[in-house]
Amino acid sequence: MSEKETQYFIEAYEEKRAALPGAGGWLARRREAAMDAFREAGLPHRRLEDWKYTDLRQTLEKAAFAPAPAHEGAVVLPGRRSASAFASIDRHVLIFVNGRYRADLSQVAHLPKGVELHALADVVHEQWAKDLVERRFDDARQAENIVDLNTALMSDGACLRVRKGVKLDKPLHLLFVAQDAGASHTRNLVLLESEAEATIIETHVGEVASFTDIVTDIAIGEGARLNHVKLQDEASDAVHLATMRARLAADAKLSSFALTLGCGVSRGQSFVLFSGEGAEANIDGAYALRNKQHADQFCVIDHAVPACTSHTLFKGALDGKSEGVFQGKVIVRPHAQKSDGRQMTHALLLSRDAAMNAKPELEIYADDVQCAHGSTVGELSKDSIFYLRSRGIPEDEARRLLVLAFLDEALDLTPHDLARDALKLLVSEWFGEVAL
Amino acid sequence: MAAVKETVETVGEIEKYKYGFFTDIESEKAPIGLTEDTVRFISAKKDEPEWLLKWRLAAFRRWQTMTEPTWAKVTYPPIDFQDAYYYSAPKQTAKLDSLDQVDPKLLETYEKLGIPLTEQKMLAGVAVDAVFDSVSVVTTFKEKLAEAGVIFCPMSEAVRNHPELVKKYLGSVVPTSDNFYATLNSAVFSEGSFVYIPEGVRCPMELSTYFRINEKQTGQFERTLIIADKGSYVSYLEGCTAPQRDENQLHAAVVELIAHDDAEIKYSTVQNWFPGDEEGKGGVYNFVTKRGDCRGANSKISWTQVETGSAITWKYPSCILRGDNSRGEFYSIAISNGRQQVDSGTKMIHLGRNTTSRIISKGISAGRSSNTYRGLVSVHRKAENVRNFTQCDSLLIGDRCSAHTVPYIETKNPTAILEHEATTSKISDDQLFYCMQRGIGEEEAVALIVNGFCRDVLQQLPMEFAVEAQKLVGISLEGSVG
Amino acid sequence: MSMLEIKNLHVTVGGKEILKGIDLDIRAGEVHAIMGPNGSGKSTLSYVLAGRDGYVVTEGSVRFKGKDLLEMSVDERAAAGIFLAFQYPLEIPGVTTMTFLKTALNAQRKARGEEELDAVRFLKLVREKSKPLNVSDEMLKRSLNVGYSGGEKKRAEVLQMSLLEPALAVLDETDSGLDIDALKTVAEGVNALRSPERAMVVITHYQRLLDYIVPDVVHVLSRGRIVKTGGKDLALELEKSGYAEYGADAA
Ligand SMILES: Nc1ncnc2c1ncn2[C@@H]1O[C@H](COP(=O)(O)OP(=O)(O)O)[C@@H](O)[C@H]1O
Ligand SMILES: [Mg+2]
Repeated sequence: MSEKETQYFIEAYEEKRAALPGAGGWLARRREAAMDAFREAGLPHRRLEDWKYTDLRQTLEKAAFAPAPAHEGAVVLPGRRSASAFASIDRHVLIFVNGRYRADLSQVAHLPKGVELHALADVVHEQWAKDLVERRFDDARQAENIVDLNTALMSDGACLRVRKGVKLDKPLHLLFVAQDAGASHTRNLVLLESEAEATIIETHVGEVASFTDIVTDIAIGEGARLNHVKLQDEASDAVHLATMRARLAADAKLSSFALTLGCGVSRGQSFVLFSGEGAEANIDGAYALRNKQHADQFCVIDHAVPACTSHTLFKGALDGKSEGVFQGKVIVRPHAQKSDGRQMTHALLLSRDAAMNAKPELEIYADDVQCAHGSTVGELSKDSIFYLRSRGIPEDEARRLLVLAFLDEALDLTPHDLARDALKLLVSEWFGEVAL
Repeated sequence: MAAVKETVETVGEIEKYKYGFFTDIESEKAPIGLTEDTVRFISAKKDEPEWLLKWRLAAFRRWQTMTEPTWAKVTYPPIDFQDAYYYSAPKQTAKLDSLDQVDPKLLETYEKLGIPLTEQKMLAGVAVDAVFDSVSVVTTFKEKLAEAGVIFCPMSEAVRNHPELVKKYLGSVVPTSDNFYATLNSAVFSEGSFVYIPEGVRCPMELSTYFRINEKQTGQFERTLIIADKGSYVSYLEGCTAPQRDENQLHAAVVELIAHDDAEIKYSTVQNWFPGDEEGKGGVYNFVTKRGDCRGANSKISWTQVETGSAITWKYPSCILRGDNSRGEFYSIAISNGRQQVDSGTKMIHLGRNTTSRIISKGISAGRSSNTYRGLVSVHRKAENVRNFTQCDSLLIGDRCSAHTVPYIETKNPTAILEHEATTSKISDDQLFYCMQRGIGEEEAVALIVNGFCRDVLQQLPMEFAVEAQKLVGISLEGSVG
Repeated sequence: MSMLEIKNLHVTVGGKEILKGIDLDIRAGEVHAIMGPNGSGKSTLSYVLAGRDGYVVTEGSVRFKGKDLLEMSVDERAAAGIFLAFQYPLEIPGVTTMTFLKTALNAQRKARGEEELDAVRFLKLVREKSKPLNVSDEMLKRSLNVGYSGGEKKRAEVLQMSLLEPALAVLDETDSGLDIDALKTVAEGVNALRSPERAMVVITHYQRLLDYIVPDVVHVLSRGRIVKTGGKDLALELEKSGYAEYGADAA
């Protein structure tokens, strides 16, 4: 398998492997194996069930991406508001340009004792990093296999370790800027030891034809808590592929919210594995798409042990010729009694040409469980619009109000108050620009 | 050209062989295995016209290029399609002489179902006829049906007497190339029912067919075709039972429904093929393609199914909602116990304007079974004002079974309103205790609660079927508690 | 002869001892009230009599009409004549109240070797029993207890009792959540069932119900023991003094 669309990646690997983090050690061997697997499988395509609605092979065939160049010197933040959406939040900021960490641009005030923050190259020799990178979740093999591409080529990333009982004082903001066209492969590693707490905010912006391939591997210890807020808003000819893999120990809690304003084609994958009882995961998101944007949310939650709770809500508004996808799966393993798994997805179609595909799955092997999913697709209620107009609100304004109200239910789940307000503002501005 | 000549010669030989057929009981079967000759044999055996043989052969050639679908959530050892018989006429010597020789467990089941003794005899393999109720109904009510202009007969008879109708509609809903099993069926189908309701006629009675698999090692491939012409109505009931056998039996039927303008077809199934024993030995592989085409405006097709049997069920009765304002319905109860595996659901393909569909699926898993709902609701770009409501509920009895829900919801038109809900639950100990405190025994309490869970679907069945189905629910779950 | 004879009954739930030696003797024709603070073990006693799982008898005996009650399964006890009106009646979606009543009645009749009632006779009987309890046909057609108000649930419990005609009826806080009119209706229903062949155990937290269902004997249950037994006046006494002296839980 060495067709055109995979060739760039294979060549990039051959050329750069000696210079990538971890050369000569376990990671080099791991990369080699990952590259072999990638070569064998190629890019995922429509005939694979997990990629039924997003054909990555076709996407990357159309827009072949050579590696993005290293960018030195000054960076012009993209004009879009997303770039500065979180500016007013007191936070640590790490800036990545074309996928590479720029210490000179970042602002990390001194961190509390017990918080370690490093670039990928500095931690690859550590056991915890190895554990995170090597771990597979396996339940959506077809979806997870694409992580091989990242493993083979990952060049940088933020690695955060918070020691037992320590609380990260303010949010850690990872700002990814695509400054030049091309592909970047980033790997973040997050380890929260027991009772630790942290909030991570992630922003992806760019005005160029970039291919962002980012994987975030997370382990949350007993009773620890991670809040994660992600905002993605990139160029219409950009491709975004993000995978989050999180393992939760007993009583751990993960709250993740992603706002996708999208790019050309974006796919956000979340894999959550409960490995200890009493843990809780909230994987939520909202998306607003227009023109020919395509966004796919893929989410697998594995209740491998009893008494865990997972809630998922994704809401989206689709305008223009955009296409939204939600694929979710809640698995309850044998003996994982008292599992509570809920999965909701709702989409509003705002234009004649928008389309939505949803596939919310349940896979249940235990009887004493509470599992449910729901899905709705439709347009704005004509009755509601009429009601608002009868109160003197112009039609455009009425539609805008209703769409925002619709998305608010999801946005309210953002696990950080200031970040939530920032996202809401952003969304209302986004709709200010759209004639509905 | 040499190959053609050779084939012709072989057919010639089979033709000759045919004459020994009626006397030599052992040769009533087509030779084991599946080749073009088998297809020719079946067609010749049924005295079919040339066009139908060609149709079968095209399907067969297509089938040879296809592979079995593997996407369903079922597992079974590979099927050797060459190690089965594809044609078998009733075989006198294999018949049992009296009910005494029939497995008592089977009789017990029939008894509980309230099937009359004469019918029990037929079902248990005592009777000689291979096709049951369809024949008797036809003969019993032939006059009444003929008066109304309704045609209800075995498929082979329809091919003889109404070739123009068969030719026009056969394969028009499920094309010969549709899927592995439908294509196989197209090549080798043997029996089945044909129904035609003329324009404006409301069929004066429910039509019903009982299917059974009788012979050992024999695949069963019926083909049913129902056409409701403009403004007509028909309710069709299908019951399935099979004797207990140690080895697996393949059942790959195709059902095609066509509803023209303002017509309505209601198709109900109570499927109770042998599910295999407690250890999963034996049982029917039920790989069935059922599809209805709401071809005309304001037409309606409604599928109701109660699935309690079969080792493996692979079945998705679907509706193509082509006509404007047409409506599709799917009501399903799928019960799995022991080691049964069910992967069933529906497809609602909305093509026309103002088309509506409703899906109510109730899956009950017990024992070590696996029960999957798989469904598609698809709205095409030009289908304005589509409405769909889907409710999928799963009930688990015990902690060794599993329940899965795999819905696909695809829409390309903003005026569609699609709602999908799914839940998973179990029978609570408190509910059981409450029932038992009122004096109801445990198994009866389970049956009562499960029937309550299924009520929305049971209500859709014709009266006499509903009673049978309710009893079946109880029987299917025996031994699932305690 | 005693209808129900409880001797030194000890019961644990989830490993914790809840009933700590109960003695109780109830004869046919008698109505006993059991009062006591929340958490004293009243519902536990009723569940043990009905045979609910998870209620483990560690010591003592219960005899019902001379037979060992603890040997019998839940439905056998019901067929033998024990009826429990639940403090929290269960909901069973999809099973209409009518179907449920018929299934229960016929199961019990069958267990007792009596002939099952056909649809017509059954319907007549239900109508006759429903009327005084204000249970409408519409209510009977709904799923059992699903969407019933608190009062409707309790009336449905009493309807079941009057239909099943038990020998021993145990009513667990049948008065809770009822307004005064509903309370009267329920009490009338219960009183109509009083007979020399039948015994009743009325469990309540408040004296109020006992104004309408006048008991022959009143017991006070506290921390798993019967701490006082007296006539109907005991209830009035309790009303005045409260449960404080019986160690009411702070709750
Ligand atoms: N399943 C259980 N496990 C442990 N304790 C229980 C359980 N059920 C009830 N209890 C305890 O038993 C005691 C008696 O409860 P109950 O019989 O319901 O009291 P009452 O009906 O008098 O209010 C309470 O302290 C309650 O907390
Ligand atoms: Mg109580």
